[in-house]
Amino acid sequence: MRAACIAAALSIVACATASVAEDAPPITAPTVNGPATGLADSAGLKSTVFGTPPQNIAQLPDKVPLIEIDATMPWALPVPAVFWFDKKLEVWFSAQDHPAPLAIVISGTGGDGNTSELSTLRAVLYGAGYHVLTMPSPTFPGFIVSTSSTGVAGDLRQDGADLYAAMQRIVSHLPHKVKITDVDVLGYSLGGANAAIVKSIDAREHKLNIHRVVMINPPVSLFASVGRLDELFAISIGNGDVGVERLYQRIFAQLANLYRASDRVQIDENFLLSAAADVLTTDTELEAAIALVFRIDLMNMFFAGDLYAGTGVVVDPRHPPKVGDSLEETARVLRGMPFSAYFSRVFAPYYLKHRPNSTPQSLIADNRLDIIADALRNDPDYYAQTNSNDVILDHAELDWLKTTLGSRIVVYDHGGHLGNIGERQPVADMLDMLAGHWPGGSR
Amino acid sequence: MKGAAAASSLLLLLCGCATDGIDMHRLPPQTPAADNAAAIKKAAEVAAAARAAVNSERQNVAVSPPFTAADAPPLQTYDPWQRLNRFSYRFNARFDRAIFLPAADGYRWLPSPIRSGVHNMFGNLSEVDSIINYTLQGRLGYGVRSLGRFVINSTIGIVGLFDVATKLNITQSPTGFGTTLAQWGMHPGPYLVIPLFGPSTLRQGVGLLGDYATNYGIDLADIYRGDQSYGVGVVNAVDQRANISFRYYSTGSPFEYETVRFLYVRKLLLEDAGLHAKETPKKRDPGVPAGE
Repeated sequence: MRAACIAAALSIVACATASVAEDAPPITAPTVNGPATGLADSAGLKSTVFGTPPQNIAQLPDKVPLIEIDATMPWALPVPAVFWFDKKLEVWFSAQDHPAPLAIVISGTGGDGNTSELSTLRAVLYGAGYHVLTMPSPTFPGFIVSTSSTGVAGDLRQDGADLYAAMQRIVSHLPHKVKITDVDVLGYSLGGANAAIVKSIDAREHKLNIHRVVMINPPVSLFASVGRLDELFAISIGNGDVGVERLYQRIFAQLANLYRASDRVQIDENFLLSAAADVLTTDTELEAAIALVFRIDLMNMFFAGDLYAGTGVVVDPRHPPKVGDSLEETARVLRGMPFSAYFSRVFAPYYLKHRPNSTPQSLIADNRLDIIADALRNDPDYYAQTNSNDVILDHAELDWLKTTLGSRIVVYDHGGHLGNIGERQPVADMLDMLAGHWPGGSR
Repeated sequence: MKGAAAASSLLLLLCGCATDGIDMHRLPPQTPAADNAAAIKKAAEVAAAARAAVNSERQNVAVSPPFTAADAPPLQTYDPWQRLNRFSYRFNARFDRAIFLPAADGYRWLPSPIRSGVHNMFGNLSEVDSIINYTLQGRLGYGVRSLGRFVINSTIGIVGLFDVATKLNITQSPTGFGTTLAQWGMHPGPYLVIPLFGPSTLRQGVGLLGDYATNYGIDLADIYRGDQSYGVGVVNAVDQRANISFRYYSTGSPFEYETVRFLYVRKLLLEDAGLHAKETPKKRDPGVPAGE
């Protein structure tokens, strides 16, 4: 995540300054109470940014076979010209050479099907004897374009339905020699919530017969979590252009001085890794990095949603961009758009139109994990792992998870958001949960 | 008939198996244990380098005027040939997906010692260009280091197959004519996406031509001229691609062109700032795009 944060910090400001004169939003966006950093302390922020130290990673296998699967989805919407490269859903599959359970792992917000977190989970699951299928988040542009049946990402039920359909199509086309004895689903961050929803759909439809689910650092309320990240952006960077430009100039100057002081002749990965530790030291800097990474994911989701929904916030629905058109201006505008703007100007208008009797409040309520509270409470095959200093949760949400899941959740005292994924103890616990060896779970 | 069969096999290898709108590409296996061991080693190196950098920074504070936020280049990038560049970017993405990446993936199936031998050999040959350019840049210390690497690896390292010099802590520091032009004071110039090569600027593009001319002129080991140069060029290109993890549009983002352009040019400008570390940073007009 270190290099990613630096890259993110630099690339977000690539979309140069431009003010957005927003009209008063017609729909009230979700509001958030409590601190913007959720439960995160300084250590939690640091873990969130820098990820799991490699020396803390669980034992990994020497080799993991890998097949890239590119799949078209028959229900997909027409692909907009500007997304010509996202026609197929890309997933990755690792097969055992003997009958084995299948673990399907879903990425977090904006992530593709081959993120570093997924690579780690793939390795430990494969090493434990699972076939492993890794999938992108429904908020990843490649998923939105190739697989979403609406083009407007972020709705737990709709995204879950699309994921479930995609999983069925891919699993049914796996090579015949792959023998599957059981199916489990996992996900990290938003992917954790997606995994739980997918299992709840499968409980009705029985197309995959999903057995167990493990949610890793899941949100409880999707909109509350991203609302916090909006607030974090406002606090650590500042709304509008001045804050972003100031951040860019400061980072560039810091990197330039670090580079000038070093004896390197070119900027390489080692320099960036080293520089990240120097540039990202204070809580505010770490908060800015977290907020920036999320804002970049949001830009893609916002653009795609606006394009598909025809809401005309940044894309003129009568003149959508063509292949080769510059998107610089669009990116400039989007950079200043928080999630609340996506909700009030794209998401809510689209779903209010397509879901009779829905209201903005019902849309917000529908994006909480408690829409499947009964299943989470009563079905012993749902598990969760989270951290006591996770940035995307507050005290009430953590308490809700603990109360609802009982002994089927484990809360670690460190790691922030995903900053201990792949660590020895969480991996051992995850494998116990999947194998039915966890106290209080199903056998 | 044999040719047709071979062509079909190659096509299958390149395209994978396609069924009902689902394509499967078998990739070289991942090596998580070795990758994590390398990450642990790298983390230790980075920590050591960070400690060294702190000392180095302290030493340099007195002689180098610090770079301030006001010296940072503007957010905009000078890209007057944007339409052509975007076309080249798309061409490169398609070429990469259809030809380059499958070839690199195929290459990665070769045993690791063979690949590292090939990689080391090309790296060793490139030291000649580095020696010349460091000399042109007036950075003779680096030139001597490259010369030392070349001599050690060409002899003890058996014509460059083994990178003995790195094991002796004489690490590779490649440079080229583009950096020489930067040292001589030339700005990066307009952003340029070169077909098959990727992101560049006018200055760096000219630098590539200079590097090619150098290699052609010297024709070390008789591999840069004649028919064999095509084969060598292809192997070199595939080896380089196999060692670059970047995949076009893996971000899925419609803004990838803007992001790559921004990052590439900022990296170049940071390196330029390093080249002129002893000079006071030039005051920039915020209205002039970076690179112009």
